[in-house]
Amino acid sequence: MPLILHGLTPIHWAAAGAGIAIITLALLFIANRRLGISTGFEDVCSFVLPVAYFGRDAVRLARGWRLPFILGLLVGGFLSAALGGGWRPTWDLGMFDQVIGFGHAGKLAWMFAGGLFIGFGTRLADGCTSGHGIFGLSNFELPSVISTLSFLAAGIATTQIVYRVVFHL
Amino acid sequence: MAMLYLALGAIFGFILSRSGAADYNYIQAMFLFTSFQLYGIIGTAVAITAPGLWLIKRYGRTVSGRRLVVPLKPQHRGNAAGGVLFGIGWSMCGMCPGPIFVNIGEGKIYAIAALAGALVGAGLFGAVYTRVQDLFRLPRLVVGTRDG
Repeated sequence: MPLILHGLTPIHWAAAGAGIAIITLALLFIANRRLGISTGFEDVCSFVLPVAYFGRDAVRLARGWRLPFILGLLVGGFLSAALGGGWRPTWDLGMFDQVIGFGHAGKLAWMFAGGLFIGFGTRLADGCTSGHGIFGLSNFELPSVISTLSFLAAGIATTQIVYRVVFHL
Repeated sequence: MAMLYLALGAIFGFILSRSGAADYNYIQAMFLFTSFQLYGIIGTAVAITAPGLWLIKRYGRTVSGRRLVVPLKPQHRGNAAGGVLFGIGWSMCGMCPGPIFVNIGEGKIYAIAALAGALVGAGLFGAVYTRVQDLFRLPRLVVGTRDG
């Protein structure tokens, strides 16, 4: 199955997994940092929301590395598009377009709603696919096992309901 | 050091972009059990990170000789409840937090709405933290005890 991005062929899962592992280990071994991306939402919030939660040491002391790392994610995505056929703004959303449709405004509303779940959920769970799923599992942490099983199960249930029950594939 | 973080983030983002981890179709295919790609990526990442992490922890120091610090995540009811909420969002957007940024970088316009939602969601959680603290048995906040 080609990627939505320029119909490119994805790299092999073993190579991608190895690359992610190398970045995770490099971040720890070089910079003493535990991989975790969703806390970056707090970093941004901490600049504008004067509530105690965003004044935590865990947030204040890590902004210096997480914000440039996140900026790097943007750069990585940009380079991937630019080198893979040229960068251009796009609304393409693969099977969402084919099965659900909705148009631009509906797509934005759907994404915003999903984003709310991501933002609230990852903060309540204390991590996402990176902090719990990659680092936490690799470090055999029980909260990460619980959280990873929870978000995989909920993701499977949601997609099954959306694509097999509500909108038929 | 900021340049190092930026570079590591860029490589990470490039891999997410080109592997399917930041691709709506591949995320749905994972949850529909029609593609092994994402399970393979996460499984391989953990299978390599785990022994690497064990070795680095055994060594106990970073490459420059500083004492290694691996902060652990607290255990509470929010791990499961928050995980479920996040899973719903991951399915809806076809993106987890890292890929939201990667997709914006790629030029996918709708990903900006996902980021806006995520920031509002995180902000909302911060605002209600003290009210849901007991319900989910969340840890007490540690605020301003050290220099930022």
